[in-house]
Amino acid sequence: MVDEALGLAAAYQAQVAARPELADRLGPIAEAHTAHATELARVIGVALPTAVAAPAIDPVNTLAPLRALEKAAQQSATAACAAASAERAALLGSIAAARATHQEALK
Amino acid sequence: MRQPSAEEALAAALSAEYAAIYAYGRIGVRLTGAAREAAHQAEAAHRSRRDALVVQLSATGGAVPPDRAGYALPFPVTDRVSALRLAAEVEERTAAHWRAALASTTGADRDQALAALVEYAVRATRWRKTAGVTPLTVPFPGRPT
Repeated sequence: MVDEALGLAAAYQAQVAARPELADRLGPIAEAHTAHATELARVIGVALPTAVAAPAIDPVNTLAPLRALEKAAQQSATAACAAASAERAALLGSIAAARATHQEALK
Repeated sequence: MRQPSAEEALAAALSAEYAAIYAYGRIGVRLTGAAREAAHQAEAAHRSRRDALVVQLSATGGAVPPDRAGYALPFPVTDRVSALRLAAEVEERTAAHWRAALASTTGADRDQALAALVEYAVRATRWRKTAGVTPLTVPFPGRPT
């Protein structure tokens, strides 16, 4: 989950590097994914990895690939929330919800 | 802090749904066109969750908190701008109660709580979009700030 969140952040950063005009729109979403990774690493008790490869998507003129990544990531957070302990369920639920809102924001 | 039982968490969610339905009554009249229609759909979603919670809590013999005649709004709703701002806030607040229910529930009850959290968080984003407010999203939907 930590790597997945960092990978999502990296995908947004790559998109912003290719299209700087999207920085205002995509920047807050990239920051949210980094915040998710940080919080997940904290509750699991692991160090935050310093570098994670972005999922292989081409930064193109459409945001559809990012939406697809968010959708898959929402599903994995939903499954993780269902299986989580009481202590972690709320965090994973918020992460699943955030990924759903990102899909809406990318429309 | 003691973790609330599933029943207590769902009763709190029900009270939040009552307040959301009340607020949408104030919101809808300040909107027109597509936004008004969206407010009506949102209100219907909250009514549907309210009804399901009343049935569920009654079936388990639990205490069903009563609705109240009125609820304090966080700020006056006087025009479209304040109506849209309240709509986004109502969704975030209701989402927070369902998020709180995640820790107290398992299985189908947790799935239902997560579905509500996700739906309301997405609707809050849609209201911000309608209002032209940025950013459209918050990092941890439903988390107390």
